[in-house]
Amino acid sequence: MSSEADKKNWVGKSFPRKEENRLLRGRGKFADDIKLREMLYLRFVRSPYAHAKIVSVDTSAAEALSGVVCVLTGAEIAQQTQPFIEIGPDPFAKIKDYPLAVSKVRYQGEPVAAVVAESPALADDAAELLQIEYDALDPVVDAEEALEDKSLLHEEAGTNRVWNGVFEYGDVERAFKEAAYVVDIDRLHFHRFSSTPLENNVVIGQWNPKDDRIYYQCNNSFPSFAIQFLAAHLSVHIDRIRVETSDIGGSFGIKITSYPQMAICALASKKAEGRPVKWVETRSEHITSSAHGNERTFRDTRVALDKNGVITAITSRHIDDCGAYPRYEPLGCVIWSQVFPGVYRFKNARIDFTQAVTNKCPVGPNRGYSRMQHLWFLERVIDICAHKLGFAADEMRLRNYILPEEFPYTTPNGCVYDSGNYPKMLQVAKGLIGWDEWKKKQTAARKEGRLIGIGIGTTLDSGTNNFGQSQIVNPYLPYSGNSQGANCKLDIYGEVVVAVGSCPQGQGHETTAAQVVADVLNIHPDLITVRTGFDTERNVHTGFSGTYASQFAVSGLSAVHGAAQKLKAEMKRLAAFTLGTKEDDLEFGTGAQGPEIQAKSTGKSINYWGLANLVNANSAGLTPELYEVTLNCRYVWRAPFKVPDTKRKYGSLTLTYASQLHVAVVEVERDTFIPRILDYVAVDDCGTVINPPIVEGQVYGATAHGIGAALMENCVYDAVGNMLTSTFSDYIPITAMNMPNVKYGHIETPSPHSYSGAKGMGEGGAAPIHTISAALQDALFASDIIIEDSFNNADSLFRALKSKETGTLVRVEKRI
Amino acid sequence: MAIKFGGEFEIKRTPEEVYGFLTDPQKFAPLLPEFQGMTQQDATHFTVKVKVGVSYIKGAADMKMELTQADPPKRAQYKGQGSVSGGNVAITAGFDLLPAGDGTKVAWQGEAQVFGSLASVAGGLLEPLGKKNVQKLIDGLRAALA
Repeated sequence: MSSEADKKNWVGKSFPRKEENRLLRGRGKFADDIKLREMLYLRFVRSPYAHAKIVSVDTSAAEALSGVVCVLTGAEIAQQTQPFIEIGPDPFAKIKDYPLAVSKVRYQGEPVAAVVAESPALADDAAELLQIEYDALDPVVDAEEALEDKSLLHEEAGTNRVWNGVFEYGDVERAFKEAAYVVDIDRLHFHRFSSTPLENNVVIGQWNPKDDRIYYQCNNSFPSFAIQFLAAHLSVHIDRIRVETSDIGGSFGIKITSYPQMAICALASKKAEGRPVKWVETRSEHITSSAHGNERTFRDTRVALDKNGVITAITSRHIDDCGAYPRYEPLGCVIWSQVFPGVYRFKNARIDFTQAVTNKCPVGPNRGYSRMQHLWFLERVIDICAHKLGFAADEMRLRNYILPEEFPYTTPNGCVYDSGNYPKMLQVAKGLIGWDEWKKKQTAARKEGRLIGIGIGTTLDSGTNNFGQSQIVNPYLPYSGNSQGANCKLDIYGEVVVAVGSCPQGQGHETTAAQVVADVLNIHPDLITVRTGFDTERNVHTGFSGTYASQFAVSGLSAVHGAAQKLKAEMKRLAAFTLGTKEDDLEFGTGAQGPEIQAKSTGKSINYWGLANLVNANSAGLTPELYEVTLNCRYVWRAPFKVPDTKRKYGSLTLTYASQLHVAVVEVERDTFIPRILDYVAVDDCGTVINPPIVEGQVYGATAHGIGAALMENCVYDAVGNMLTSTFSDYIPITAMNMPNVKYGHIETPSPHSYSGAKGMGEGGAAPIHTISAALQDALFASDIIIEDSFNNADSLFRALKSKETGTLVRVEKRI
Repeated sequence: MAIKFGGEFEIKRTPEEVYGFLTDPQKFAPLLPEFQGMTQQDATHFTVKVKVGVSYIKGAADMKMELTQADPPKRAQYKGQGSVSGGNVAITAGFDLLPAGDGTKVAWQGEAQVFGSLASVAGGLLEPLGKKNVQKLIDGLRAALA
């Protein structure tokens, strides 16, 4: 047999994705593929107003239509349910958030009623028959204006201010006193965008009257979070809710907040006497009403620097716009601080962070949630200071980067960066793009009047959250640490079956979990069946299970590894008994009859079927001390966190810190103002790479996403809260046609905080936003332009170049 | 999304005659573009059914109209609100009448506020379409008073 001596490590190997065969042949099982007997179809009737009182809702014409089973309204729902749990403290704990608007609407696209019919077309027709009378109220679409509280969204809260906190560390006053330069930046703005997964939200809900249980088949990407909200809202025991997910066509975080729609499907099913109810979101619904990323404005930023351009302190006011309902918020008010100093060494800082509600779509975790806004801000600070003080952008970064020898590095707010080597990443990126050549080309092009810029963007992907950070925004929240469950078993015929509590959306969990178990048992990954997709009935999930926040490589695979180790220990114990030898005489491998365990001293072996049979079907010969061996091993991995100091806002908030460094060469066409990417490099460091093609694929995907966000995707609202970009004609997703030829590079700095050295491999999706902003500023700085917004297209660049107002945003005080 | 419009014209009718025409829903409402019918609730309230066709949004809208300012023979103002598939529309239209020789100078101004996905789906079309329809209304008014 192949023995452990011949062992190849599957982790780290370019092993083809096990999912590929199924998914690329169209054999995936997505939520909308599911059709159940007597299934009904639900259509939401949504508000055309951003802010209005609901005067009346007349459902009679819709209910009279043949084939319409029922109509639900907010007033009816409010009678039957509890408002959703609010994560934030008072006064926002007082607000009443229901899945349908009850007495007023707070954003355009908010669901006001739900129509349930025998077919999707009937539900569409019936939805148009509802007569809803509104009394329009003054909308507020700007977060700073919202903070004036002239027009309140939630009267019960008495304010639009969701949360405020000051994050202060070090000796800020002294740093400014001793500074050689002080740079003031009036305003920076990170725009609002969403994500465009191939598959929109889908929910099938059934409140079965036979067992009074609720069954969901859906594509929510954090079901263990959703069921906690749903159980309280619907006043049912959490164990009475079953959630199953199967293949998911992308989430990027925003499918975390589909629990209101899940609630409505269950309530509609209850009203329809237990028939299953399916809701499939349209693309426009997704763009206008599912969830957007957080919009953030950075005000009154002051930067202290020494004579060498080393930043010694930063102060700023950050105003976050979370849309009409906080939902997952105000967690974003602390999550950004996981990357408080970014990749830089400054120790003194004061950030006054405020979050406000506005009459816009609620936000949800989206593509590097909350951290990318802050990291973009820091990269803007670096580039603005570099340009204004005359330092080269690469040199400015090298002077400020945390150095490789400083890892593990404790940030001013107590986070521990596990590993990294930012100067090396910059060196690799510069080599790949041909930095010196491009600099020469840029000089020559500028003489011809061309506007070419070269930009660097360095970003972090913090993964595996300490949920104790939620107590910084609300000390009464009962969450801390992080955990993930997995199950590894030998089935009755000896098949190795792994179950995980994650909801992969293209990240290759089936493959990487098999690679990990294959290494533990010394068998080929193809001999391992991995059951991905969430199912409460599998009993592998914990309160944090799902797929979000760049954590599977650490939390998910650590759980899988732990479960596989437990299984291996049980298999060894059983095999030692059966083969009459000691456990350390045993060797795992594959023989003529498949995977087996062999006694090295005698050559005797037992295959997996034999082992499984002993436990499951042929147990009479076992001794009682072996009765505890089940070959069905659940393992819960827990991250070694403590609850942060909530008063100081200090502590370890995340376990691993992957990093990405991108370089772009961008030209702004003089005649059309269209920004075009001439060259692009993405360098990634996610620690030990488990499967190189999967990582590379994620880097390309995330780069596409980031380029789209920087240049194409923008949620535009008019003054009365109409979302003007509600279709793909106006909200433009990036396609292969818009992509530059991305040159990929990587380095590996293994994490000391994970068993394999891997770090959370997430989007790194922020890097292109930083990078393109930096390149555009480099291209236009000589024209007195400061890139103040994260979204830049031909129109905004035209306006910036014509008005030149951005040049006045920054002031420099030189004291040397 | 707000669409503002305004202008003025002169007509060889007295301010009283013009005012009388403008404030009579039976005379005024049929001048509205794509008028299909109306029901009058009282002297100042009426509902007009108009045909709507913007981009792929097609159908009929019931516009609830109210004569909100009536200052004979100087000023009349209507406010209206209606809904169509994809959105709601609120309009305000005012007419100031000034004697001009043996006729009347009519200064008209208004605003249409569009709410809902109509604004985004047909956003670029709404302003020219709105202006075209307002011009039709004014042309119809001039023709009726000529």
